[in-house]
Amino acid sequence: MGTREQLDAQAGVGTRVQDPWVTIVWNDPVNLMSYVTRVFQEYFHLPRHEAEARMREVHENGRSILSAGSREQMEVHVQAMHSYGLWATLERSGK
Amino acid sequence: MKGFAERDGAAVATLDDDERLVIARIVADVGLLLGGEDFGAERQSSLPHREDLAEALAFLDALADSPAEPDDPALLRLLPNAAPEDREVAEEFRRLTQDDLRASKLARLRRIWDELSTEGGEWVVPEADVMATAAALTDVRLVLASRLGLERDEDAEALHEEIARATAALEQASPAEVGIDPERLWLGMVYDALTWLQESLVSLTLGGQR
Repeated sequence: MGTREQLDAQAGVGTRVQDPWVTIVWNDPVNLMSYVTRVFQEYFHLPRHEAEARMREVHENGRSILSAGSREQMEVHVQAMHSYGLWATLERSGK
Repeated sequence: MKGFAERDGAAVATLDDDERLVIARIVADVGLLLGGEDFGAERQSSLPHREDLAEALAFLDALADSPAEPDDPALLRLLPNAAPEDREVAEEFRRLTQDDLRASKLARLRRIWDELSTEGGEWVVPEADVMATAAALTDVRLVLASRLGLERDEDAEALHEEIARATAALEQASPAEVGIDPERLWLGMVYDALTWLQESLVSLTLGGQR
């Protein structure tokens, strides 16, 4: 899983048990699937197929965890998602 | 309206004067909702005054009428609660980020307003501005969706069908006869048009990227 580890270093994608906070992106009726995919590619540096998989998770399950890490890091990611117009929240992991 | 297509590495859409006027106006109204200065008051738009569009444009202005309180649902969609179950986290987040978020959203809206308020039938978006433009279109659509009561995926689909039915019925009769709220119909049509325009922009791959 070398790819996953690289992504962790870049944008904190992927969850580890000890990470205390997570960034969650929620489904909404406004954001286009194509747009959400591009946001995930651009901001989280995900390859297209993984960005699409995360987008589908949001669309079908109502939410997806996009990153995990410190509260400060998650605040940065949530702010970025809000800037793109996506609805994101942060919370302690393991809830 | 012709959706965005690639030309010389940029995204280019073609809008007629009415479409430019409507989109510029709604962009300015969302700016007002975010607490920005009145784009139109500061610099005179070169777009013509259109008496025949006055009623429709008044619907747009009503978007920004509600005071910009944090509990205005449209504003809450632009600056959402980052931690609905943890008040301390939510308030801290709002305190730390709200000013920056407002400023970046306003700057993007402002750039579109400037572009659409100058003469010309084309809307040219350089590759570097594609995501900022798409994000601003999202903000405008979020405000419209809030006013239209779109909360779930099914609501958006139902609105789309409602507009299709209404448009067909209006070929035979007036809005009053058909029993349609003209404001809802008009805002819904603007929402649909902006959705289509945003999809055309986002689905472009400029310069062979990705």
